[in-house]
This record gives sequence, structure tokens and C-alpha cells, in this order.
Amino acid sequence: MEKLIRGVALIAFAAFVAGAGYGLVQQMVKISTLQSLNNNDISVEQALLVAQGAIDACKKKDNSLISVAVVDRNGLVRFLLRGDGASPEMADNARRKAYTARTFRQDVSKWMERTAIDAKDEKGKPIDLNGQQYLENTITEPGGVPIVRYADAIGGVGVTGAKGGPMADEACAQAGADAIADQLL
Amino acid sequence: MFRMSRVLTAATASALLMIGTQSYAQTKLTAEMAMAAARAVQAYAEKDGSNPSTVVLDADGNIVLQLKGNNAAPHNIGLAERKAYTANLFKMKSIEWRDATMPGKDRASERQMPKVVPLGGGVPIMVGNQVIGGVGVSGTRGGQEGDTAGAQAGADAAAALAQRPVAQN
Repeated sequence: MEKLIRGVALIAFAAFVAGAGYGLVQQMVKISTLQSLNNNDISVEQALLVAQGAIDACKKKDNSLISVAVVDRNGLVRFLLRGDGASPEMADNARRKAYTARTFRQDVSKWMERTAIDAKDEKGKPIDLNGQQYLENTITEPGGVPIVRYADAIGGVGVTGAKGGPMADEACAQAGADAIADQLL
Repeated sequence: MFRMSRVLTAATASALLMIGTQSYAQTKLTAEMAMAAARAVQAYAEKDGSNPSTVVLDADGNIVLQLKGNNAAPHNIGLAERKAYTANLFKMKSIEWRDATMPGKDRASERQMPKVVPLGGGVPIMVGNQVIGGVGVSGTRGGQEGDTAGAQAGADAAAALAQRPVAQN
């Protein structure tokens, strides 16, 4: 009799444990599927290093007084500096270069080649992406590069006002992105 | 003798004209000063343990520098700009302007101007008694007083660079 009671109690306990375990697993599945996004984004500290890297590179090369913009992963301004003598519009062009590089995850000069009206892929097939150049906030002038961490664009940097023109802008922007390349872990 | 006096009169007149049309000297807010201000605000924020947003404007009210804090609320950066704008426009801390324009006071209607905001956190950048721009800060721990302290650190850092002796050509 006592054995029977013990047996029933054991079965009841096992059933309880199994039930609780199942409930717990179910809850964990629910939590894991309802998780909010936790994306990586460029920080203030990183943005300042990027900007200083671009400024220093341009100053060293030919003493250019540049405007620099760093946008975050949402394409919004994280950092913006208007160079001495530059108009507000020039500073905004730096922002648009950073935005274009971030959103298309490539250098603006490369994106311009890809979206040119007569652009063709390696097999000679037309790419037909020219419409991208009509999107808001984009700009068809080189000078922006993306800030990439593990193939994930967490921001972009754009430059205007380098003495050598738009390609010199892009070289300075690249120097800025390179300033934190080894820290993007 | 007559000719002599005519020449003298002409010389005096042109000298007076030159004085009258002389351009005035105003210290310009440079990108370097703005950068120094942003770094000073960041240094304040580090001690404070907060992530504020900072905007530096020149005397014309145009943006020279903009820095959005980590995890900043969406309104932060726009608010920082309006604080800086207010401080530059009225040549006083925005917290003082807030108190000077309280509802019921004579100056209360100034609050209806565009782009101003009656909140602390904006500080003018003073070189001597000249205002060359404004610093606005939003998002420190200490509320409007904390924002004002952060912006003051930034404005002081910018003004320190302006007062630095410059080599004459």
C-alpha cells in the first residue's frame, strides 16, 4: 500500500516536472521570438575618431579645410562639422554623401558607376539601377564611404571641400573610416 | 594757398569716409573652436555619466557642429540647436532668458519667435563682450542646470581658442 502511494506520488511529481519544463520551454521560445532588435550603431566616440581622421588626412595632404559628416546606421546625423568658409549647403552635401554611402553600403564613386545610365555588369548585361540616383538625400558626387562592421554598415562618413575635388574628398573620408577600422570588433 | 587748402579738405574728407565705411572686426567661430567645444561637453558628460547631444552655431545662427549622443532621444538634437540659437540670439544663457520671459512678464511674447526655446542648456560663446556663437546641450543628468553647465564648459573651451594670440602676417 505504502509502495503504491509512493509510486503515485512519484508519477505525480514526474508529471509536474515535465509540465513545468514544457511550460518553461514554451515561454523561452516565446521570449526568443518576441525579442526586440539590438543593432550595432556607430557611437559618439567612434564618430569623433572618424571625423578627426578625415580632417587630419585632408589637412596633412594640402591643408584643405573640409566639412565632415558621420551618419549612424539609420542614416541620421551622428556628427557634422562645417569647415571654415564653407556654406551650410556644403556641409549638407557632406551629410548626403555619408547617407548615400551608408544606405547603399559602398563608396559613393562605386555606387555612381553602378547606377550610371549605361552601367553594365561583368557579363555585359545592363544593370538599370539609374533610378536610385533620384532617391531623396542621395547625391551623385564622390566623397562618401560606408563604415562597415562584419559586412554590416553601421554608419557612413562624407566629406566636402577638399582641394583636389570630389575624389580627394573620398580619399579623406576613407582615411576617416580607416581610423576606426581595427576597432570595429 | 587756395589749392593747398582744397587738397587738405579732400584728404580730410576721404579720411573721414574711410573711417565711416570701415568694415568691423568680428572674431569668427572656426571649426576648430567648435570641435574644442564639443570635446569639452563630452568631457563633462563623461564625469556626469550621461550621453548628451551638442550643437554649436556661429553668430549668424548657422550650424557649425552637430553631435548626437549615444542612444539620444529623437528630440535631443533639435532641442540642442534651439537652445544654442536662443543663447546666440539674445546674447545670454537660455536659462536666464527663460526666467526673463516668464508668462506675465513684459518680455513674455519673445517666446513666440521662431526657433527659440525657453529651456536651460544654451550658452553664448563670448570673446570679450562680443558674442560669436552659441553652444546648446541636451540630455545630461542634471536637467536644465546640468545642460547649462555642460554648454558652459563647451563655450569656455571655444572662447579660450579665440583668445589665443595669433601670429600677425
